Amino acid sequence: MKQNRKIVVLMICLGGVHLVSLFAGFFSPYDFAQQDRDFPYLSPSQIHFRDAQGSVRWRPSVCLLVERPGDSGAYDEDKKKCFPVRFFVRGAEYRLLGLFQLDWHLFGVSPPAKIFLVGTDGYGRDVFSRLLYGSQVSLFSGLMATVLSLAVGALLGMVAGYYGGWIDAVVMRCTELFLALPWLYLLFALRAFLPLHISPILAFLLLIAVIGVVGWARPGRLIRGVVLSGKENQYVLAARLFGGSDVYLMRRHLLPQTYGILLTQAALLIPQYILAEVTLSFLGLGVGEPAPSWGNMLAALQQYSVLVSYWWMWAPGVVLIPVFLSYGLLASAMQARAAGMTREE
Amino acid sequence: MRYLGHRLVQSLFLLLGVSVLSFIFVDLAPGSFFDEMRLNPQISSETVAKLRKQYGMDQPLPVRYMRWLKSTLKGELGFSFAYDAPVAPLLRSRARNTLLLTGSATLLGWLIALPLGILSAEKRKGWVDRTGTITTSVMLATPDLLLALGLLLFAARTRWLPVGGMSALDSGGQGVWQQTRSTAVHLVGPVVVLVLGSLPILMRHTRAAMIEALDSPYVRAARAHGVRRWRILFRHALPAAINPLVTLFGLSLGSLLSASLLIEVVMSWPGLGPLLLEAILARDLYVVIGAVMFASLFLVCGTLLGDLLLFVADPRIRTDELV
Amino acid sequence: MRVQQFKVALIAAIFLSAGVAASVPPQSQHPTEDLLISDNRAGQWGGRLVVSLRSEPKTLNPVTSADVSSREVIAQMTGDLIHINRLSQQTESALARTWSVSPDGLRYTLQMRRGLHFSDGHPVDASDVIFSFKVYLDENIRSPQRDLLIIGGKPIAVRQLDSDTVMFELAQPYAAAERLFDSLAVLPRHLLEEPYKSGKLSRAWGLGTSPQEIAGLGPFRLKEYVAGQRITLERNPYYWRTDHEGNRLPYLDQITFLFVASADAEVIRFQAGDTDIINRVSADDYSVLEKDQAARSFHLRDLGPSLEFNFLFFNLNSVLPAQSSELPRRQAWFREVKFRQAISLAIDRNAIARIVYKGRGTPLWTPVTSANSLWVDTSISHPARSLENARKLLNSAGFSWKNSALLDASGAPVEFSIITSSSNAQRIQMATMIQADLKDLGINVQVVPLEFHSVLDRIFQTHDYEAAILALGGGDVDPNSEMNVWLSSGNDHVWDIGETHPATSWEAEIDRLMERQLSTTKSENRKLLYDHVQEILAEELPIICLASPNLLVGAKNQLANFKPATLDPHTLWNSYELFFGGKETARQP
Repeated sequence: MKQNRKIVVLMICLGGVHLVSLFAGFFSPYDFAQQDRDFPYLSPSQIHFRDAQGSVRWRPSVCLLVERPGDSGAYDEDKKKCFPVRFFVRGAEYRLLGLFQLDWHLFGVSPPAKIFLVGTDGYGRDVFSRLLYGSQVSLFSGLMATVLSLAVGALLGMVAGYYGGWIDAVVMRCTELFLALPWLYLLFALRAFLPLHISPILAFLLLIAVIGVVGWARPGRLIRGVVLSGKENQYVLAARLFGGSDVYLMRRHLLPQTYGILLTQAALLIPQYILAEVTLSFLGLGVGEPAPSWGNMLAALQQYSVLVSYWWMWAPGVVLIPVFLSYGLLASAMQARAAGMTREE
Repeated sequence: MRYLGHRLVQSLFLLLGVSVLSFIFVDLAPGSFFDEMRLNPQISSETVAKLRKQYGMDQPLPVRYMRWLKSTLKGELGFSFAYDAPVAPLLRSRARNTLLLTGSATLLGWLIALPLGILSAEKRKGWVDRTGTITTSVMLATPDLLLALGLLLFAARTRWLPVGGMSALDSGGQGVWQQTRSTAVHLVGPVVVLVLGSLPILMRHTRAAMIEALDSPYVRAARAHGVRRWRILFRHALPAAINPLVTLFGLSLGSLLSASLLIEVVMSWPGLGPLLLEAILARDLYVVIGAVMFASLFLVCGTLLGDLLLFVADPRIRTDELV
Repeated sequence: MRVQQFKVALIAAIFLSAGVAASVPPQSQHPTEDLLISDNRAGQWGGRLVVSLRSEPKTLNPVTSADVSSREVIAQMTGDLIHINRLSQQTESALARTWSVSPDGLRYTLQMRRGLHFSDGHPVDASDVIFSFKVYLDENIRSPQRDLLIIGGKPIAVRQLDSDTVMFELAQPYAAAERLFDSLAVLPRHLLEEPYKSGKLSRAWGLGTSPQEIAGLGPFRLKEYVAGQRITLERNPYYWRTDHEGNRLPYLDQITFLFVASADAEVIRFQAGDTDIINRVSADDYSVLEKDQAARSFHLRDLGPSLEFNFLFFNLNSVLPAQSSELPRRQAWFREVKFRQAISLAIDRNAIARIVYKGRGTPLWTPVTSANSLWVDTSISHPARSLENARKLLNSAGFSWKNSALLDASGAPVEFSIITSSSNAQRIQMATMIQADLKDLGINVQVVPLEFHSVLDRIFQTHDYEAAILALGGGDVDPNSEMNVWLSSGNDHVWDIGETHPATSWEAEIDRLMERQLSTTKSENRKLLYDHVQEILAEELPIICLASPNLLVGAKNQLANFKPATLDPHTLWNSYELFFGGKETARQP
């Protein structure tokens, strides 16, 4: 089936992105916290495929940067001092999956040259490395928070829509409560309640929990609406007459009807949750400095001066586009496949 | 009608619940409005303590809540520490400006998203669909604030639009027609940002719902019978797809007061945004709680309207169970 | 011949009177008024100045206003007796023409200018001054200005000697007593006595008040307030300053304050020409605006270091939150002066000034910046970053290293957290850079940005923090404005709040010195005393000063007499002499 092939291709792409993310330490030339205070806001390094004599070489090289006299902040290349880019080099140590201590990197240059594929940020940290490390937090927290929101929303929404009556009223009033309350203050209180030192794992889980729990209301309402009308379908009534239990009916007949909503919401929530991290870091609940995430890297972009002067800081936003596109296409393909499956029953 | 009565009673309880919980949340949060004064070396701590007492902040929570409730029933909604004035008048004029903005943006958003979503569902892989998918992905990847800043920059460079604000500097003495025109021109920027922000959600949902409806057996049957295209779309498919869209519409209505706060701050639109943001950060409690109550009122009305429309629009829902 | 002469004389007289009529100002001059003649470049009347405000003013009441935006607008509408010239940082005559001090330094007798009027035409005299101070000192009103007027534990006493003379009596000699009068507005008794008597004064003059009900002695008066958008002031026709040609000031017809809540939007609007002045630009935005200067006919000025000082400090409180198990142990490190000195030596201040402020900042080793030319102690050393010396100090204090991690005497690894406000990007940057600097010493630092009030709550209330980065300063250059920071009992003694007695001998010494300089009248002696305080601070390091941002402002080229100053309000302190004239008037070296 065409849909199946599309789904497989998209999952391979997304899987590849997540795999690279897990192996961020290997793919990035530098540690994410390494500050190079001589080179803040440097534009991406120029890669040369010609050597000093002008002949083409297969090995790319990077030239040393020298500060331009007078105008502080501008750098020129010293074409005479060029260093080759080598592959499979040893560099800064990192922990793979939190378990193995390694120091092999895919590529790098020997000091004193630097290779900044996407330039540096305000402290002189390599944006490319930070992009890769940042994807770990953003991709996974976005995904897991969405799963949490949708799970809670689907469960409560289905129960409310199926049973109706006072259960429906209670759950729906709860959604309104969740949508209306000033969560910001509770989050301030939460942060005050927690100790000052939060381990990165705890911060990560907290991030997921907060975003996921607060966000169940909208999918919950949408699911409830669909279930309200879906449970009146002929085959559901028929199944009930044949003695199907509530749980069976919900799982077998009503849940498939909600796939469309669930998948569409998933494709919309993952982006929103990745960006929501920006607000949370303002509250002290996101990942702290110097740990990167695409959310807090984008937050730096929200200053006018950075926005107009340093185009390479747009990198996290640019990288997000194909990721969101893939998620969207995947959701669309899975929905089409699910619709096809119910049709074939 | 009984259903309506039930909902109104429930909503009243809900609003009370929101007010109590908001009070508790705000109280739990560390710090108070007067902290910032403590950072000023020229104000003594005795003065700060006296100010706290004057505003009743040394009373226990239930006492403060009852006083606030009494003030709400009088129509004041409590007192602002910063402005030293009742909250309700502060909020009213600004809520009007916010509603003008979000109302226009919601209307425009739905007017654009519905046809585009329907078209892209109908002709999958058509150019509307492809460009739609890509642009929604781009818009999802761009935070609202970036869009707002970008638009401000665009306005500043080209001068086609005013750079923020709601009226021109000398609009005080102008006639009604000129003032309306000036407001409309200032509306363009923030409305564009809001619409671009909400389009992905509306378009994707419309598209998904329409695809499901268009793939269903009765639509295929109608096509086989030779029913014309527009009739299929609007008479057969859309009503089936309407369910999630109506719920979304109710939620859109419900968030009229809260959707545009950050945009207003960046684009200097004199709505609730700047007032509320400052009040939240400065811990001006009663302004925050007053705004929360206003927004909850809208939310409750929006969801009620959404539910009512749902019963009207989707005849499959049996309303007799709820009566 | 005579008729000829007469005709010439007549024609000459006509031309002369026409000339005189042409130069007569919009308002007629009152020869009975005792006006202050301003020594500025003469300008021309007309024009509207547009300035942006980052937040909306909350009130127009000079007695109760406490926030920055309200005070900025009110400053344009009110006048004081003795004013501090923002450029020279010295006091000068304002509504008080002359004043004398009694030999014991306890009595100040002020002579007011005669024949002046409020902005609504009502005459001013000493009874308005008496009324004003009665209001400021009234305990029931709870004005934030009241605390300034309490000298030696007792409020200032005010007496009217005659219709133009007022006498102020202090409980003890106070060195900077003249400076107290700055920004204490003289209130109109004819408008405010009624509300005062009925107890409604603190609610008077809110934002919705109609312009007819407000009167003041400032260069401008209220014209219009549009909620959420802007507030417009118009020229005060009764203002008591003229230029040396006899023309009544101010030159400007109107000032409009636009409310622009976001700093980025402020910059964009200035760049687009919507506003005429931009105040306190950040270093990043300055670099962006710099490139546009010539094209857009505005110019930027870097005024050098401001009075603001950013600093790192440790929790030295004796009262700690009950549930913290780590804090008492870590406090043992913080209390060790060699530990603090080592930290100070390990911080790369030059890099902070270079990176956080793009080079438009000044590294600091004392809280008194070079902007405060009257009080800065230039003899204090500015040691460069030295990890070696830091290590030596730590060694001598009983710390050691293992695997490049710093351990204390009992073998526990040295690590702590720095809290700072999440809304201030610069301080977070400083914390991140300090984190990297201290890593070289083997210390693990966590940077914890928290929402501002949570930070304040931890510092002032719960004392539940380990280290923090804050900024202070910017009030006045005089040491008395920072008394509450250095005094042990002061409410801004941030590293140890709520102490009634000094916790250490050096803090007792600082207390003693500050109390003495308060009542010393000779400025040379005061300087010596304050220098001594600065030396103790540099040695004991209760606060580790980091850097001070430069003061960056900008204005349109056509705005003449633009003389930005390091004291607040930086750009509008001389609004009475600003005017729009010609294209290239404003470029001053």
